[in-house]
Formats: sequence, structure tokens, C-alpha cells
Amino acid sequence: MTKETSDGNILGNMKNLVGHLKSFFGLSRRQQGGRLPFTEAFERFRGVLDNNNRALEIITDMGEKLGGDYLFDVNYIKDAYSRLSAVVAGAISNFDTLTRGRHEQLLGVFNRINSQVTGMIYDVASVTGERVFFYEDISWDMSREVGGKNAALAELRNYLRLDVPEAFAITTRAFDEFMEHNELTAAVDDLHGGGGPHEEKLARLRDLIMEAEIPPGVGSDIEAALDKMKKRCGDPCFLAVRSSGEDEDGEFSFAGQFETVLNVPLECEAVKRAYKKVIASLFSAKAAAYQERIGYETGKMKMAVGCVVMVDAVASGVIYSSSPDGERRTLIVNATWGLGESIVEGRTDSDFYRVKKDIVPEIVNEKTGGKQFMVVSRPGGGTAKVETPVDRAGKPCLTPEQVKELAGRAISIERHFRRPQDIEWSIDSSGKIYILQARPLRIEERAAVETGPAAPRVERPGRILMKDRGIIVQKGTGGGTVFIVRTPDDLEHFPKGSVLVARHDSSNFVRVMPFLSAIITDTGTPTSHMSSLCREFRVPTIVNAGDATGTLKQGQKVTVQAAEDGSTAIYEGIHRDLIEYSEKTSMKMEDVYEYRKKRFVLRYISPLNLVDPLLDNFSPERCKTVHDILRFMHEKSVAELVDSARYGTSMLKRHAAVKLDLPIPAGIIVIDIGGGLNIEPGQGKATFEQITSMPLRAIVKGMMHPGVWNSRAVSLKVNDFLSSMMRMSDITSGDSEYVGYNVAVASGEYMNLSLRFGYHFNMIDCYCSENTRNNHLYFRFVGGATDIVKRSRRIELLATILREYGFNIKSKGDLIIARLANISSDELVGLLDQTGRLIAFTRQLDAVLNDDSDVELYSRNFIGGKYEF
Amino acid sequence: MNKYRIMVIDDEKIVCDMAKMSLEQEGYDVETFMNAEPALKRLAEEKFDIVVTDYKMKGIDGMEVLRTVRKLYAGTKVIMITAFANLDAAIEALRSDVHDFFPKPVKIKELKASIQRALDEGNK
Repeated sequence: MTKETSDGNILGNMKNLVGHLKSFFGLSRRQQGGRLPFTEAFERFRGVLDNNNRALEIITDMGEKLGGDYLFDVNYIKDAYSRLSAVVAGAISNFDTLTRGRHEQLLGVFNRINSQVTGMIYDVASVTGERVFFYEDISWDMSREVGGKNAALAELRNYLRLDVPEAFAITTRAFDEFMEHNELTAAVDDLHGGGGPHEEKLARLRDLIMEAEIPPGVGSDIEAALDKMKKRCGDPCFLAVRSSGEDEDGEFSFAGQFETVLNVPLECEAVKRAYKKVIASLFSAKAAAYQERIGYETGKMKMAVGCVVMVDAVASGVIYSSSPDGERRTLIVNATWGLGESIVEGRTDSDFYRVKKDIVPEIVNEKTGGKQFMVVSRPGGGTAKVETPVDRAGKPCLTPEQVKELAGRAISIERHFRRPQDIEWSIDSSGKIYILQARPLRIEERAAVETGPAAPRVERPGRILMKDRGIIVQKGTGGGTVFIVRTPDDLEHFPKGSVLVARHDSSNFVRVMPFLSAIITDTGTPTSHMSSLCREFRVPTIVNAGDATGTLKQGQKVTVQAAEDGSTAIYEGIHRDLIEYSEKTSMKMEDVYEYRKKRFVLRYISPLNLVDPLLDNFSPERCKTVHDILRFMHEKSVAELVDSARYGTSMLKRHAAVKLDLPIPAGIIVIDIGGGLNIEPGQGKATFEQITSMPLRAIVKGMMHPGVWNSRAVSLKVNDFLSSMMRMSDITSGDSEYVGYNVAVASGEYMNLSLRFGYHFNMIDCYCSENTRNNHLYFRFVGGATDIVKRSRRIELLATILREYGFNIKSKGDLIIARLANISSDELVGLLDQTGRLIAFTRQLDAVLNDDSDVELYSRNFIGGKYEF
Repeated sequence: MNKYRIMVIDDEKIVCDMAKMSLEQEGYDVETFMNAEPALKRLAEEKFDIVVTDYKMKGIDGMEVLRTVRKLYAGTKVIMITAFANLDAAIEALRSDVHDFFPKPVKIKELKASIQRALDEGNK
């Protein structure tokens, strides 16, 4: 079989797959409504988990093989991706049955990602999507649609939350339509044909573009965007219309290759003209030469355009986030009055600052330029070079504080993009700093190639705090101050540049990922969500390191080394030599263009954008990558299973319900779905010893812990009692036969426990197996007999304690949802024990929580093992 | 001492480029070819210490490169890499005195180690 037919088959199979899924979804829609019987729901749930796990393993493998340590070819990517799409499809089909087609949009999302990826792998062009995107709607994986410059700037706005002017992108799809509408594609193809000098053809093509018509669809979308923009920024308002080539500012900077039209009035005709001018610059002689040099065929690159509101700039300039002269520990700020155009083009005697890159940046050298001329916006549009007013010429245009503030932004941008950046900025009359552009700054390393890289010399090696502990997730070396994250809330105060140390790994860390130097966790696996993120961000990371939270001290300065040879070390103090050596060696493969181009496919596969399941954006539509889809399915499957267990009341009739015979009056009935109990058939009771379900046994053990089950009747105050009476019907509505029972659905590794004590409901769903990644613990608590204030205090107490144990918490009023996932069974058994104690401890606790200060008192008592009240 | 010379032949540019980058980092002189024909011509002009070749290529394939090198350039060692973990191919190559045989994706560190071993053996 030749290579071509084999590729064709894979592509054909993928299309078939989508076809099968479509017919499958059609079927499921007809079946929509109602709920699956629990046993089937459980099977489907496991089907989702199994496929998700396999998918994550393939993603991890792809991340490794494409990470720069392996020679790989296109066949590998094709093969790995076809395996990946098959298991994702398997997960989706199970998921769809489980959720009765309620998230059917997921298929469309998967189709979109699938066509992007197969398009890239098989080099099939796919033109889909919008013609215009406002920056707030652009995510980091959209550089194919909006071009590199727009994508980078939108990322700074949406992700680093830096101030970027209002802006929208005109996409590559609009570009394709423009070129096709005017039959310009033929003229582009002709560039490569014989006859006539290249330059003349380019000039003719540029003329054709300037005379061409904007297609009606593109025109009306631009008009609509301008209307929206007018509403946002008022009148007068002007735009900078800038190029944003498909790969511009991404892998290559294309610095200065394409046109930028400044100060364009917010009028359709003016913007369209500027748009065409920018498109035409794709075919300028210098741009064509540049593209050829870096391996692009002229005309293959698609041009998106950015329309960015002009800043009323008092001063502007450029920052090199690492000094190009080899002093990489310093950065350079250039500044001038007015617009920055003159600096970008190197035409002015600007102010110069060299700033030491430190946690608090420090100006080490400065020179104030003459700045006789400045570029300003003209009132009606366009720019003008004027003489600088005498009171400003020769005076520094920035205060030292502003220089440091700019330096801080540059450092975080460099850290975010993981390479030195060339950044354009402006400061407006109110002193606000806007970032206008960030693109890679190519710094030639001093040739290490001639002699091979020299071994790092550490002048005074610090004490080794930890050695060869844990699993390396991402190689590299990072230094900073230890910051121990004990609860998700700690992330709010995470100091930039710190080393994050935590007990468990968590995808919540994505919030600070761009600002941290390294991650060490006590437990964790290299295939977790967080691990994928660490690879994506190239953050040096060690998981499962044992007792890092105990060994390392808050505020201690350390250097974390996850070395090429697989060894790990954590040194006391920050060792620049080690860090820079590691940066030098790891950046090298990045310089191979073919490699970067091929690896780009991972952008649609491994990043995780859906982080918090409790946010509104946790929806199929917001899934941008395969990883997002997996994450979405996992979360929703757990929720579905919980509902299924809660509402699937018909089970009681079919399955034998066995009462647990315990020394405490917990009144639990167990429905064994396989391996949950070890009893004789027909036996109506089971003792604690006969519980074989690992999670159920652990939680019941906790409930039976000496002293924790407080059987003393707690007297309700009159209003508590009335309040409970009035709310009875709310709480019990929807439940029928098993009201009054505490029910556990259990197998050997699974447990869903629904508890009703007095007037509150408590639900715990847990999967506890040897495969850490399958494991989850879900805890929900609602209601209570007392008034809302006291009930809320109990929720606060639960939240305090559960947070201490590392749960992610969401609470509202008298409802709390806590989750934990990706933890080893050993650890989970311990946590279940604590959860069992907590269930028993808090049964009647609200009645005694008379004061807010009691919350702290009782939570401290509980954590300290004191259970009486 | 002169640098060791390594030739890489693979019909995929990404393999050539990545191999060149990583082997140059070790201080070797590296030349890459996406087609075996000019590669064999180049071998006739100059001595290479190691040839790293893809197994399956259009035109002259890896086995033919191996046989040619074995016949004409006794001092040159051949390392074969292949996209298909094909046992028959490995046996065939081993019979023809290949120095090493790797399925792709191949860990660059292992390739480097294999090259180092081949050079060490050559120096004995």
C-alpha cells in the first residue's frame, strides 16, 4: 500500500467516524427525555472515563514525542491523531447516551477541531468561521483565523488582563473571500509561473488589490463592527489598521514587513481602503523576499487585519524584554513623546533606560534623548511629524515609576510567551499604559554550537534541599521564592515569579501559570490536566515529590532543576547560571521552523481552556481543544451519574436493598451493583466488616470514629423549629420512595451516598480505584433545620474544613458543592474517613452555631481532632 | 582534531532539520539530504563517519544506501531509522551490517548515544 492511499484511508475513516456519530446522535435525539436506568448510566459513565483516560494518555504521548526530545515524522502525528480521534469519538458516544443528547453541541465542536487538525496534518485548507472577531472573543488557539498579531494581543488582554485598546480582527476567512471574490488567487498562482520578472508581477498584483472590491459579506461585517466600535469608544475615534499575518508575531516576527495605517477615521470607506493597503503589503517586494527566506511561498500566507483604537498617546515607545546585547538579565525601554512610530522606525533620539529584571525592577542606566520631533495624530486622520514643544523637548517623558511599571509588564509578557519580546506601548493622558503589540524578539545566542554547550558552572552551589524526588512533568530550571498554595484562594495572592508548592496538582493553577517559575507538588501524576498545562507553558514542574510542602518553607528562595537526564534537585537560593543554561539548551529546538510548524497541531489538542466547571463558560461551545472536550465530558458525566443515582428511584424495586447494621444509628441502605458487599444472597443486613466497597467502607469508618457521632439531642429554638416546618415541602419535593432513607449505591470501587439527617441532605459521590486519574470525590450538602443564618454558618464551617483538605468549593446560601479529583486511592481513603467524620460531626451542628466566631472555633476543633460540642 | 562528519538522509524535512540542529549541538558537522541520490554522490566526494538514513524513501531506499556504503566506504557506519517498526526490515538491515536500527519517533538522546558508540568503535 502506498503512502497516499494509506493517508486517504485514514482521512476517509475520520469522515466515516463523524458520519457514524451523526447518525448516532440522530438516534439519541429521538430517545431524548427521561433518565437512564442507573446501571446503564454507570456503564456509560465508565465508558466515558475509560476513553477519556486513553485520550489523555495519547495526548501526553504526543506532548512528549513532539516536545523536542524525539525525531518524529508526519506519519507519527497522523497515526497518533487517528487513535486520539477514535477514542474521543468513543467517549462522546458514551457521553451522549449518558446525557440523553443534552450536550449535542459537543459533536459540532469536535467536528470543528477535527477539521482544523486534519486540515493541518493533511494540508487541506479549511475556511470556516467568522469574518470579524472582537478581541474579547479571541482565544489563544485562533491565530489561523485572526493572525498572530491579533491573537497575541488578544491573549494579553484576555489572559494577562493587560490594558489593550478596544479592537477587532478581520479574519483570514475574510481574506480568502476577498481574494476569491476578485479572482486574485489566479494572479497569486501566476507569481510562481514563468515569464516576466517577479517584481513587476508583484506590483501588478498590488494594484489589482487596491482596485478590488470588498465582497458584500465582508463589507457588511466590517460595517457592523465599526458601528459596535462607535458605541464603545464614542466620537471622534480613530483606528490603527495593522497587518496580522497567519504566522506573524507567532513563530517569526515579520517585523516591519507589512503595512500599518495609523489614525484611520471610523468610517467604512476609510477602513476598507486601509484594509486593502494592508493586504497589498503582503505582496511588497521586501515582504515577498522575507517570506521566501523563511520558507514561505509568497501568497501562501493568509493575512488577517487588526483594527485597534488609537490611544491618545502622551508618550510611546518600545521595550525589548531582554537586552539584545547579551545582557539578558536586563531589559531596554525606549520612549518618546506622542506616537511611537518614530522609534519603531528608528528615527528619533529617544529616551533610553536599561532596567535590571528583578522581582522589583531597578533602573541601572538611563539617557534622556533630545526628541526634537514627535509624531502626532492629525485631527482629521493620518499622522504628522511636528517639532516637540520646548517645554518637553529634552525632558524625560517617563517617570522612574512608569519605567518600572513598563518593565513589570514586559517581564510578565516575556514569561507568558516564554521568549524575549519586542513590545510596543503607549501611555495616555491619564497615565494608563496600553500594550499595542508583542512579538518575539530574536536574540542570537552566543554560539554554543562550536564547542558544544559548556557545562553549567555554579559558583557556590547552594545546599540541596531535595534530591531526585518525584516525577518530571516538564524539564527545565526555574528559580524564585517558595509560595505554598494550600487552598485555591491562596492563588489570589500569588506573587509573580514565585515557585508554586502544593500538596496536590490542580488545573486551577492555570490562573498563575504565566507568572510562576516552577511547580512542585507532593502528589500528582504526569498525565493530569495540570501537567498538560505545564508542558504547554513550558513551566519546569515536578509532581509526586513527597513532602515538598513540609520540606520547603514559605518565602524561601530556591532553584528547581528538572534536568535533561531525568534527575531532579531543589537548591537553596536562586542560581542564575543553572536557569540560563537550561533556557539556552531548551530553546534550541524551538528555532527549527519545520518543527514548530508541525508541533503547532498541539494547540488544538492539549491546552486546557475550560478550567472552572462552576463558571458560565463551562459549556460545549467554549471547548477549543480536544482536552477541553474531555474535561467537559468528565465533569458533566459525574454530575449526570449523581443525578441518575439520586433520581433513579425505580432501582429500589429491582435491586436488593440491604440495611447496614452499624453501632451508630445512621440508617443506611446499600444497593450493591457489584462487589459492594460480601453477604449471602437474601441476607437483609450487612455489618461494617461485610462492606467491600472501598469508598463506602472508608466513609462509614469515619462516621463510626469514636466520639464523632454526637447522639445528644440538640434543642432547637422555637424559630428554628418553625423554619424547618415551613421548608419541609421544598426539601422533599421530587423525592418519593426513598425519603427518609439514607441510600448508598455501591460497587467495589464506586459509591454514591445520599444522606438525609433531620432537614439537611448530604450527597457524596466517589470513585476510588487504583487508577488515580479515574478517582473523584464529590460532596454536596444542602438544607438544615435552623434559620438561614445558622445554616449558612454550617456551610461556612464545611467550606473551611473541606478547603483545608484541598477540595474545590462552591457555596451559595445553604448549599455547598465540593470536589476533588485525580488523587490516589490511599489518599482518597484517608479523605473519605475525614469526610465520614465530618458528616457525623456536622449533623446537628447548625443548631449550636450561635455566633460567626463559632465557625472558626468548631472548624479548628474538628481539624485538631476534637469533636465534642 | 577535525570534527566528525555525519550525513542524514530522510525524505521529510522535519527529520532532517531536527537531526541537524540536535547533532550540531553536539559539535558534529552535519549535512542533510531529502533524497538518497545526491547523498550517495556526496559520499563519493567526501568521507563521512556516520550516515543516518530513513528506511523507506522514494527512489533509492535506505537498504540500498546501506548496501552501497558497506560496499564502497568501509569506514562509514550506517544507522537506520524507520517510520514502521518492521521486524523484517530490521533483520534485513542487521544482516547487511547496519550499526543500529531505530523506529520513529526516535529519542534524540538515544540516537546521539548510538552515534557516540559508533564513533568510539571506529577509534579502536
